[in-house]
Amino acid sequence: MKRIIHIRVNEQEYELAVEPNLTLADLLRDELGLTGTKKGCEMGDCGSCTVILDGRNVNSCLILAIQANGSSVQTIEGLETEAGLHPLQQAFVEKGAIQCGFCSSGMILSGKTLLDSNPNPGEQEIREAISGNLCRCTGYQKIVEAVADAGSDYQKGQGGE
Amino acid sequence: MLLPKFEYDEPRSIEEACETLRTFGETVKPLAGGTDLMVNMKKGVVRPSRVLSLKKLKTCNRIEKLDATIRIGACTLVAELIQNQVIADTLPALQAGAKALGSPLIRNLATIGGNICSARPAADLPPALLVYGARVVLHSQQGPRTVLLKDFFKGPGQTVLRGDELLTAIELDRPPANSGAGYLNLGIRKVQDIDIINGAAYLALNPRDGTIEKVRVALGAVAPTPIRASLAEQALQGQKPSQDLFVQAGQAAQQDCTPITDFRGGAAYRKAMTSVLVRRVLETALKQIEK
Repeated sequence: MKRIIHIRVNEQEYELAVEPNLTLADLLRDELGLTGTKKGCEMGDCGSCTVILDGRNVNSCLILAIQANGSSVQTIEGLETEAGLHPLQQAFVEKGAIQCGFCSSGMILSGKTLLDSNPNPGEQEIREAISGNLCRCTGYQKIVEAVADAGSDYQKGQGGE
Repeated sequence: MLLPKFEYDEPRSIEEACETLRTFGETVKPLAGGTDLMVNMKKGVVRPSRVLSLKKLKTCNRIEKLDATIRIGACTLVAELIQNQVIADTLPALQAGAKALGSPLIRNLATIGGNICSARPAADLPPALLVYGARVVLHSQQGPRTVLLKDFFKGPGQTVLRGDELLTAIELDRPPANSGAGYLNLGIRKVQDIDIINGAAYLALNPRDGTIEKVRVALGAVAPTPIRASLAEQALQGQKPSQDLFVQAGQAAQQDCTPITDFRGGAAYRKAMTSVLVRRVLETALKQIEK
């Protein structure tokens, strides 16, 4: 039986009727059309379905949509503003940290979760932060560099305010 | 990958949760972090007709520092075990176990209660909990009962938890000042890995003569359940800590384990590495006392 949930996605409120067996990943992709959240393994191994749920990066394939009732979700679509790409997105483009793109949304959101709490992470901290996100193209080096680069932009941004 | 259909309950209290467990019996599955249950439901390994979300059980979500004990709610996130200052200050081996579990994404969902109830032989949290002498609180409609964690596991995926019971909290005595503990794991990868072996050790020294007054050694992935290494403990009890003693304890620990050969590692390799791991984890525990 469908149940009504209230969920905030990328700063927008939704009231939705969902079946209990609908995952958050499927809700985002199929009901809201936010296909930037990818589905890879669907077993919590690959991290391509990463979203930020109430401030924590999580595998949206392992969460029931109904469990996210009352929560706030940020997906890759929520990062770009009228001012342009988010500094992390910009850094991924500039550093060539995107090849096929399938892992990128997860990588960027895991990177963002790290930078939000620690804008100046060391290489090891970056590697740990993205360790649940698999990339089969880049060998990770450019991704790590992009997160580090975006981190310095974060700091500059904070310094200028 | 579609999940089979099921009913969904989100009880607000432990009492309400226990009532549902009592009413629907084996057809209900409690859902905490979902990092095991959701995967097993997708694979069709478990097919509950009703899922009992523990998300709204507020009392199961906190870490309390009491006079003589620390009480960890069963739904405490593994990530929270890493970030929490009480855990970092008083139970560093548990923090080390939490850091070794899964990936950041998994640790943001997985709970301490789930890691215990899944009862996987290689789970990262039980060895540290065992060496701290942890007890688990099991609730049913009749009320709570407390079981030593070392008596909780029965086999891979098997525990003494009854179908009408819910694990709600983990209780640990606060370790005394002259004690230390450590956790180590050996895997093929650094993260998101199932360990080849893991283990923890706890040492409390007699403040007068520096001999080992209390010792616990626990090992994972070397038996059907996480185990206490009683022969290693006997080798250490009452002795003065030294490099030689730790080597002896490591050798004794080989006789405590009954590992199997699987694709992660051979039984002989697991036994050999047990000696190394026990020695190192004892060194970690001793270093902590000296700190």
